[in-house]
Amino acid sequence: MTSARNRELLALVPVAVLLTAGFAGVFSQENDQLGNLSLVYGAYFLAICLATHVYLRIRLPNADPYLFPLLATLTAFGLVMIYRIDETLARDQANWFVLGLVLFALTIHFLRDYEVLERYRYTIAIGGLLLLLAPRLPGIGQQVNGAYLGVKVGPIAFQPAEFTKIAIIVFLASYLREHREVLIVGARRVLGVTLPPLKHFGPLLVVWGASMFMLVFIRDLGSSLMFFAAFLALLYVATGRFSFVVIGMLMFLVGAWFFASTVPHVHERVEIWLHPYRDPEESGYQILNSIFAQADGGLFGKGFGQGLITVPGTDQALLPAAQTDTIYSLIVNELGLFGAVGVILVYLLVTARGFKVALLASDGFSKLLAVGLSSVFAIQAFVIIGGVTRVIPLTGVTLPLISYGGSSIVANFVLLALLLLVSDRARREAAEPPGRMATMGPAA
Amino acid sequence: MDYDPISVALKFGFLAVLYLFVLVIARSAFKDLRRTLAPAPDSTGFHAAPGFAEAPRGPDAWLVAERGGGLERQHRFDLIGGLSIGRSKEADVRIDDRYASSLHARVFSREGRFFVEDMSSTNGTLLNGATLQGEADLIDGDTVQIGDTVFRFEVG
Repeated sequence: MTSARNRELLALVPVAVLLTAGFAGVFSQENDQLGNLSLVYGAYFLAICLATHVYLRIRLPNADPYLFPLLATLTAFGLVMIYRIDETLARDQANWFVLGLVLFALTIHFLRDYEVLERYRYTIAIGGLLLLLAPRLPGIGQQVNGAYLGVKVGPIAFQPAEFTKIAIIVFLASYLREHREVLIVGARRVLGVTLPPLKHFGPLLVVWGASMFMLVFIRDLGSSLMFFAAFLALLYVATGRFSFVVIGMLMFLVGAWFFASTVPHVHERVEIWLHPYRDPEESGYQILNSIFAQADGGLFGKGFGQGLITVPGTDQALLPAAQTDTIYSLIVNELGLFGAVGVILVYLLVTARGFKVALLASDGFSKLLAVGLSSVFAIQAFVIIGGVTRVIPLTGVTLPLISYGGSSIVANFVLLALLLLVSDRARREAAEPPGRMATMGPAA
Repeated sequence: MDYDPISVALKFGFLAVLYLFVLVIARSAFKDLRRTLAPAPDSTGFHAAPGFAEAPRGPDAWLVAERGGGLERQHRFDLIGGLSIGRSKEADVRIDDRYASSLHARVFSREGRFFVEDMSSTNGTLLNGATLQGEADLIDGDTVQIGDTVFRFEVG
């Protein structure tokens, strides 16, 4: 029986091989020769991962063995694809990766007893919301393609929504742990559907209001959907009532529909989604080329470095925002359906491991925190992959850990740190000899 | 279109390593599923699952969950041999209640009668709304409150 950390160590080897093979593929295409540079990069990457692994071995020996290698795989994917687009961007991304791991280590160091988060839940929630509103502040806010997602203070630019998502999950996990009782007690069944008592619609309405407010204020359908869906996932786990999820989804659809017809930017995004051919050279350009690029990839793709990002012979982008929004399309283009399914499988496995952490955790807050963090990660991946495949309107949410962007990398490694903290405690408790199981009689 | 053999090999090599990696991790996830020893809680892990084993004979007393504690309402806990109630894993009836101590109270039988005893808990136990001192006799219909969690004692 190999220990958790040994399994993690073994799993990191294929990740480094992936990165090396990816870089080698890109190099062979760009330089027509295979230098040893890809091996050097692979070795650097492995060294950084090993350092993190040693840190985990010391601080969290019982934590889930596969979460870190899975997230490292996604990062490796990102580094290879971004390198293939632009060398300097990849260097930035690698620096962000290291910074992300530093913050990851600091989170583990300072939040060993992550219950303290519960004590500061209102502070965390308000801080998160203020961050979210920062892009609308004059001077530091930045508007990108009509959505207010970025903040720029001096030389530092970041996307606050990435950090807000963690703050909101921490708050909701803590809040629902305490209040889920009242949501269940007093629920009535109407026509076979369990409805919460009217007065307890309050929290649901508040979160719904917040996400609608985001839709209007930040003008980003993707983030709004991400937050609300994560809330519904938590609400479902906390209460076990599927009807809440259905009611919530209906509320979101009605709200989104209403604002899509009144807020111009959101309306435009929905129009592009529904009718991309109305203006194929301008507004529909990105989504159409994204879909063509994916179709062009076929089953196994065109190979590293062989996809077209710019129109041949010119500087005009064929795949706009290839390093961020449409990086998934580029992966499909160069690695084909199999590569794409591989990426989605990695996201699925991360989520599965996260839910496993939640199942093992013994107290309500840990359970809800693990569920919330894994859900928001999965939903974010869905929102952007759904966007570039035209399942839902395309928005400016990043593909977690693959897209170019410091905030995304750093925030997701902090998210991983929290998940591993919960996991370490849960697995340690689960490994101890179990107490007597509750004696349960036949259900009344 | 030219097919550079190295490039093609690297692409398929990359995909092969990726899928092997995913396969190994997925396999271990399936193993974990099979290795689950204890009867799994229901999907969310919060609600007490219905009992798996029927009691060999009809029990003669129960604690019925009235509200709180993360317990399913009206769930009946058999009192054969007594039960301990608390927040920890060691408790027979585990409740999720922030005001409960890890081993908060116990119910036991002595000479055919049932008693409830507070196990020096931090926030105390209420029997029919009054603070319980040490142990007390239980009568059909009594309520036992621990934090926000309420049980009803029932004799069948």
